[in-house]
Amino acid sequence: MTIYGALFYLLAGITLVAAVLAVTRKDPMHAVLYLVAALLATAAIFLLLGAPLPAILQVVIYAGAIMVFYLFIIMLLGPRGEGGSIAPRRAALPGLLAGLFLAAAWIVFDGDPGVKTVLSASQASAAALGAFLVKTYWPVLEAVSILLFAALVAALVLCRPRRPHPGGQAGRT
Amino acid sequence: MKTWLLAMLLFPLAGALVQPLCGRLFGLGSGNPADRGHWAAIVACAAVALSLCAAVAVLVLAQGRTSALALCPWFGMDGFTAQASLLYDPLAGFMALTVTFVSLLIHIYSLAFMRGEQGLGRYFCFLNLFVFFMLLITLADDLLFLFLGWEGVGFCSYSLIGFWHRKTANVVAGGKAFIFTRLGDLGLVAALAVMAGLWGASSLSLVAAKAASLDPGTAQALGFLILLAALGKSAQLPFSAWLPDAMAGPTPVSALIHAATMVTAGAYLLLRLSPLLAQAPLVLEATALVGAVTALYGALAALAQKDIKRVLAYSTISQVGYMFLAAGCGDVPGCLFQLMSHAFFKSLLFMVAGCLIRAGGGEHDIFKLGRMASRLRRELPGVCILFACGAVSLAALPFTAGYFSKGRILADVLGLPGWPYAVSAVLALAAAFVTAVYAVRLVYVVLAGQARESAPASVRGADVAGINRMAGVLWPLAILSLGFGFVNPPHFLGLTAWLDAALANAPSLPAPALSFRFEPALAAFEAALALAGLWLARRLYGPGQRGTPARTGLDGTGMLASGFGLDALYVTVVAGPYRRLALLVASSLDQTVLDGGVTKGAGAFLAFSKAVSGLARGRITDSLAALLAAMAAALIYLASRLG
Amino acid sequence: MIVPLEHVLILAAALFALGAACAVMRRGVIMILVGVEIMFTGAAVAFIGAALRWQSLDGQAAVILAMGLAAAELAFGLALLVHARRRGGSLKSDRYTGLGGRT
Repeated sequence: MTIYGALFYLLAGITLVAAVLAVTRKDPMHAVLYLVAALLATAAIFLLLGAPLPAILQVVIYAGAIMVFYLFIIMLLGPRGEGGSIAPRRAALPGLLAGLFLAAAWIVFDGDPGVKTVLSASQASAAALGAFLVKTYWPVLEAVSILLFAALVAALVLCRPRRPHPGGQAGRT
Repeated sequence: MKTWLLAMLLFPLAGALVQPLCGRLFGLGSGNPADRGHWAAIVACAAVALSLCAAVAVLVLAQGRTSALALCPWFGMDGFTAQASLLYDPLAGFMALTVTFVSLLIHIYSLAFMRGEQGLGRYFCFLNLFVFFMLLITLADDLLFLFLGWEGVGFCSYSLIGFWHRKTANVVAGGKAFIFTRLGDLGLVAALAVMAGLWGASSLSLVAAKAASLDPGTAQALGFLILLAALGKSAQLPFSAWLPDAMAGPTPVSALIHAATMVTAGAYLLLRLSPLLAQAPLVLEATALVGAVTALYGALAALAQKDIKRVLAYSTISQVGYMFLAAGCGDVPGCLFQLMSHAFFKSLLFMVAGCLIRAGGGEHDIFKLGRMASRLRRELPGVCILFACGAVSLAALPFTAGYFSKGRILADVLGLPGWPYAVSAVLALAAAFVTAVYAVRLVYVVLAGQARESAPASVRGADVAGINRMAGVLWPLAILSLGFGFVNPPHFLGLTAWLDAALANAPSLPAPALSFRFEPALAAFEAALALAGLWLARRLYGPGQRGTPARTGLDGTGMLASGFGLDALYVTVVAGPYRRLALLVASSLDQTVLDGGVTKGAGAFLAFSKAVSGLARGRITDSLAALLAAMAAALIYLASRLG
Repeated sequence: MIVPLEHVLILAAALFALGAACAVMRRGVIMILVGVEIMFTGAAVAFIGAALRWQSLDGQAAVILAMGLAAAELAFGLALLVHARRRGGSLKSDRYTGLGGRT
């Protein structure tokens, strides 16, 4: 076990623990914060696995922007008890299915010999990745930007300040 | 000869099928619907008359020979064949003659008796059909063919007993008759099955040929099964409970079916199968014993009845018991002799009873009829004489037909060794005495009343002529009742025994040789028994003894009158538990298990559907759970393929 | 030498399963979206691992694009949630049954 390997297992453990905690918290605020921790650990894993640009972007965009936005919305939406607690009965079926899923996936992975190769440490420089992205995946980049634009417009439209409805009271949906 | 045999069989069948149509055709001219029935009746009588002519012709042509006639193959399957075949021997000849002769007289009597009734087409159809089936039983060789006739007479009997079907009690009585005889038929079917298993076919000729080669156990078993069938059809103990109730049918029906022909079919079957029974002495002893017990039972029960037809019904049970006794002694001519003389005097008695009932305005009670006795004697003297003729023959007063036939049977049973026959002899003698008592009782109670009694004025003038006309056809029967005995007198009288000679080569045990010197003594003893019975009845019921019926307990109620409670026994032991079982099955099995099962199944379906519909509520959680389940399933499948 | 690819993939599968379980288990819309985010993370880890294994930049490009997608999706979702909440709706996913059947 190399130092990288040990590091990987450590970071993986942190990620999983944080994710589990995020899933089981009653208060959504706490859950999101644990999610942030998981994301940061994931960013470190990315770095370990030779992807510095995705790692930084994970920290800046995902954990930084997206999760903060999430927290703002939670604070905007009102009382925090609305997260809903989990009854053990409700958790039984999803837990079972997730367990089955994981077990099946493990068996599938075990069956394939190509998967046993040990990864060799290497780095992909940011410049190389950027050039690759723009050269090969530029249509997808454009599409994602249109998508983000659409999301922007949708957010603006949907969250306009409330004004009296011509039809009367706002009903329950 | 084949033609005549076929003609004899088919004329009644044709009559049954054709007469309603003829009735409509011929009666079209008149506006009176009763005329239709009248024409149907005439066609039916003509059919039976033609059948009688054919029977006589065959008897003359056959000249004592036995001939088998195969009409057509019926059906055959693996291991069993059945044919429509006839076996004509002197036994069958005389039986056919009796059946057609008595049927003809009864048909003519019915013409007058049932005049104006509704549904005459149906009545005569079944009456003719009955004659056809009875002739089938008489002539059949193949036992399955005989069984066809056996069931046919049962069915016709059921239909005719319930002729006045608007009254449910009549239909119930018909059903009771059918079910009881059906119980006996189990024996016949079982015997057929055994024979089919042994020989691949079942017919009388086969039985005659192969009976000697049967092992004793099989012969006994077959014998008992046949005995069972005979007991059912002939209303012997323990299957006798249906005959008294069968009196719900019209009187001519009672005369034909339940006196002269159908109830004797059981004894006739035993006679036809005598080669088989000869191999099974145990069965013969049992037959004799059952016959004797039934004879006494019937006689005692007849003593206590107050409905005139029920007296005659129990009397029939008793007299057929004598026939079984004769069959149990192995005496074929003797049994046939009793059969024929019983046919004559019993049908005579029944038809006279019908006249008396008609004269009394539908009154069946002999004591009430007795109140009109003086009017009856004055206005219907012929009827009274006919009644007396029948009754003396029944009572076996000396030199009547009943006297000789009964004497023959008593001589048989006394001449055979072994305790069953000894016991049977005692019972038969006792029954002879009681028979005389009740027969004479009947005559005295109905006909010996005095003018001083307050009589219901029910013998209307117009009816008298009609009744006398009805009775006109009965004179031949009266003559036969008195004189038929001389056809087969006992040996000691030195006269020729015609019947014995005609049936000389009929298969039977060697005639029990009661020693020559005992015969006169027995005849004298029998005459003494009859006269003693007559004296006792005169003492109890003769002129001037009006108050006695209630005192002696013979007024139609009590243990004797109900046939020693046989009916009640059946209800308690068989019908009651069966009914409870049926109710139990209906309520618990049918309702709870079957209905409940189906309902619960439906309920399960509904619950399942409700559960499934719960998935379609549109909840996001359900959709996500479904997605996750699908992913897990897909991965598990992949893992199973790759792993 | 780091770890076998298998272990990276197992981590990815575990994260994915966790996220799916969270999405199914929780009743609040917010928590469902948290589950979705965890699933995205799992996918991203798998991509990076595969990119390192086959020394190809496609995996890393995919991660960047997935991030963009996650952002858009979250924006949409939360905007809808705010909109519904403002009109008197609830934060519980059970209340939104418009696609449901008659019963």
